Amino acid sequence: MRNCDQFRELLEAYALGALDPEERAALEAHLAAGCAECAKAVEEARWLVSHLAYAAPEASPSDILKGRLMRTVRAEAQSQADLKSDSLSTKGTIPFWLWAAVAALLIFSVYSTWNMRRLQIEIRESNDRAAALLAQRQKTELQLAAAKREAMIMMDPSSVKFVLARQNAQGPQLEAICHPQLGLVVMGENIPMPSPHHVFQLWFIPKAKGAKPMPSMMVMPDANGKFVMLVSNPPESMGATKALAITEEPEGGSPWPTETPRWVGGVG
Amino acid sequence: MFLAAFTSSGPREVSPDATLLLRLLQKDVSAFEQLYDRHARLVYGLVLRILQHASTSEEVVQDVFLQLWRNAAQYDSARGPFVPWLCTMARNRALDHLRKKGERQRRREELPEELPVLVIAPDYEKVLDDRRRAERVRALMASLTPQQKKAIELAYFEGLSHSEIASALKQPLGTVKSWIRNGLLSLKEGLQAAT
Repeated sequence: MRNCDQFRELLEAYALGALDPEERAALEAHLAAGCAECAKAVEEARWLVSHLAYAAPEASPSDILKGRLMRTVRAEAQSQADLKSDSLSTKGTIPFWLWAAVAALLIFSVYSTWNMRRLQIEIRESNDRAAALLAQRQKTELQLAAAKREAMIMMDPSSVKFVLARQNAQGPQLEAICHPQLGLVVMGENIPMPSPHHVFQLWFIPKAKGAKPMPSMMVMPDANGKFVMLVSNPPESMGATKALAITEEPEGGSPWPTETPRWVGGVG
Repeated sequence: MFLAAFTSSGPREVSPDATLLLRLLQKDVSAFEQLYDRHARLVYGLVLRILQHASTSEEVVQDVFLQLWRNAAQYDSARGPFVPWLCTMARNRALDHLRKKGERQRRREELPEELPVLVIAPDYEKVLDDRRRAERVRALMASLTPQQKKAIELAYFEGLSHSEIASALKQPLGTVKSWIRNGLLSLKEGLQAAT
């Protein structure tokens, strides 16, 4: 491996471009390894070699060359100036069509937003109407089913009718119709309204001695004092029931009677 | 980087070339014309010496100055003076042209890159005008031995390597190396003494 002194002898020839390939490759590898002293010496050698240009006889190129060169340079300078001008012009002004497009886009955007909100409201209202209709239909179907069942109970020959008499006061009595499979219907007319925040509640009084009354459905007379109460699933079979009773109870009903029954009727 | 070269140059005088090159970066056609007028004779003389053909030399000179016009930013004044950089670019172009044209059948490794390696002026350099510098270099070259002068000229103006020069002059390789190195060292001493 060579040292710096050996490479120093090559530096001038290297700057001159006269080194043969092997020597040049070795020196360049040495420089690439980071030898600062040799790198500085190469710079000085290049400076020295650059002076050889002055050793050439000075000569004047033709005026034609200068004319050709200056025409090219002026044309390129003008072209660049035009490009710059075009660029600035493009940046500085926005064409009418672009303004029109922006305005159209803005109007369309506002209309779309308004239309979307209107459609959302319409859809929500339509959904509400459909839900109400469905609920009404379900309610009507339930009422129809109840009415049909009530009619069957009342019309069936196997049904048994009995009366629930008013207790401790004058007033209309209630009628009950019991069917062994379809259930029980209790009806009344001209019935006074219960106290505020109270309802009428039906009780099944078992035959078993000491058994407590079993709570059943609650009912409110309509504006004409009429009600029809269908008990599809009695809490106790009619065979095991001694009597039916109705009391006035707070809204929501009660698990046991809180007053003396207002109507009582023995099961036939 | 370009401007930094001026602010960091300390007491060194800002040359007219440096001012013109700053304007050239702004695509100042007038600055380009002044640079051409200042250096076209030197560049053309160098290229003509290498190619020995006037119209071909003008083509190469045109390429050199157009490259200067289009890529002025590639010159970094912090790395050295402008004229050696311009001459190195012209020499490389001319030698490249010589090689591509096949006008000389010689085996030569790849020429340096298209853009010249920057030439760093040592501290002892002072600003000399082209004419004084040319006179000094020619006088120093004339003071070399004929063998030294010939070997250096074959290397610089014709791009020959040590081996090619030895073959051309029918001299031992070591002798040619000594001629070139001793001749360049003499030139260096003369330039240092002149400054």
